Amino acid sequence: MEVSHSVKERTIAENSLVILLQGLCGRVTTVELRDESAAAGRVTSVDAFMNVRLAEVTFTDRQGAVSHLDELFVTGRNIRYVHIPDEVDIQATIEEQLQAIHRVRYFGGRDKGRREFLPAKH
Amino acid sequence: TEPRGSRRRSPSPGRLDVSSSRFDPLLALYSPRTPLPFPAAPCFNNLAEYESFQRGLRRPPGRRAAPARRGAPAGRASRRGPPAADPERIQRLRSLMVNAGPEQEGAEGGTARRRRRAPRNVLTRMPLHEGSPLGELHRCVRDGVRINVHIRTFKGLRGVCTGFLVAFDKFWNMALTDVDETYRKPVMGKAFYAEPQLSLTRLFDRLKLQESSGKKGADSKTVSEELALTNDSQTLSLRAGSGRGRAEEERERQKHLGRAGEKKTPGDKCEADVGSRTAHTEGDGAGGARARSQSRRRRRPKVDYQQVFTRHINQIFIRGENVLLVHLAH
Repeated sequence: MEVSHSVKERTIAENSLVILLQGLCGRVTTVELRDESAAAGRVTSVDAFMNVRLAEVTFTDRQGAVSHLDELFVTGRNIRYVHIPDEVDIQATIEEQLQAIHRVRYFGGRDKGRREFLPAKH
Repeated sequence: TEPRGSRRRSPSPGRLDVSSSRFDPLLALYSPRTPLPFPAAPCFNNLAEYESFQRGLRRPPGRRAAPARRGAPAGRASRRGPPAADPERIQRLRSLMVNAGPEQEGAEGGTARRRRRAPRNVLTRMPLHEGSPLGELHRCVRDGVRINVHIRTFKGLRGVCTGFLVAFDKFWNMALTDVDETYRKPVMGKAFYAEPQLSLTRLFDRLKLQESSGKKGADSKTVSEELALTNDSQTLSLRAGSGRGRAEEERERQKHLGRAGEKKTPGDKCEADVGSRTAHTEGDGAGGARARSQSRRRRRPKVDYQQVFTRHINQIFIRGENVLLVHLAH
């Protein structure tokens, strides 16, 4: 459950469905690219812009040529589909990731430490 | 103001005092006993945060009709923008808010202060689009309506994904369940420029034809007749002019080849191929010539780039950039 270290990335992820993909870290899935090629492997990380890092990848070219790669980085814009494994519960995964962000944001208790968003004092 | 105790310890008190003329910033950074002029001041990361903090102080008095505790009169006067629209707008916005109730409590401000006004994340944003097309999408999530998502390729339609929507966001990224995808691989090379626009009717007609041709054991005559019929009956016509020009050219050549006979000739192979790829054109009277070209294509064992594929995927995530349109199935 690695949450991004950047506040900007965290808020982008929190308000979009990228957070679902971030919850797929560590699972084996297939990512289909917009040029009709496909990469099947274990998701290492996904950032807020949907850039995906995969490990132990079987990469199928758009011509159909298959190759094996140790690591693959796919730019977010080049992704068309991401297959979600059957055992993944979409709603639950999103909620878990949101909780992780919530924990990081409110780390150190309410009144301690430097806060990300300051509450309006009445 | 002289800080307490620093007179005894620090070498020269003025060097750690921010307001003094002998302030030494480097020493202040490294000294363990730098006195803060305002220890209780809130820290902000940037100017925008400071501004929103200030606004947050001013807004509650205005909304709750409580006497203003802070804020210069000048500031209050400047914020009185459109007074008539505000209460109405606030009402409308409030009706959309997820946690509308607890916020309006004035008495809350004391001890049990809420940590956040209301959590704003992808899940809470889904119901907020009421009245807009994204609101329709949310209705599909809520009511479990089966939707057809048209997927785009670089130009035109790639295919359709039909499934149940689980989640979406403002980019039209979607998470679908129980998905049946019907699609066609994009055509490359010279035919890319001659290809007529794929529409949904053409896609499914092609699929139906493929399935029927598979079942009947490739009875080329019947299938080619069917293809001619369906092409004539298509009503959608969205082709670009250039595509039509090339396609008509190919069709002209096709007619000549067709009339010459049904035999495969190696010289005409590639032409017929390209011609057959553009066979999904419509509004043409030469159905018969095309039928003969279709039968020639079907008998050929080559890879057919116009083949329509279907597959079933249990759960899929679609990046919103690739979505052409979303069609709700009733």
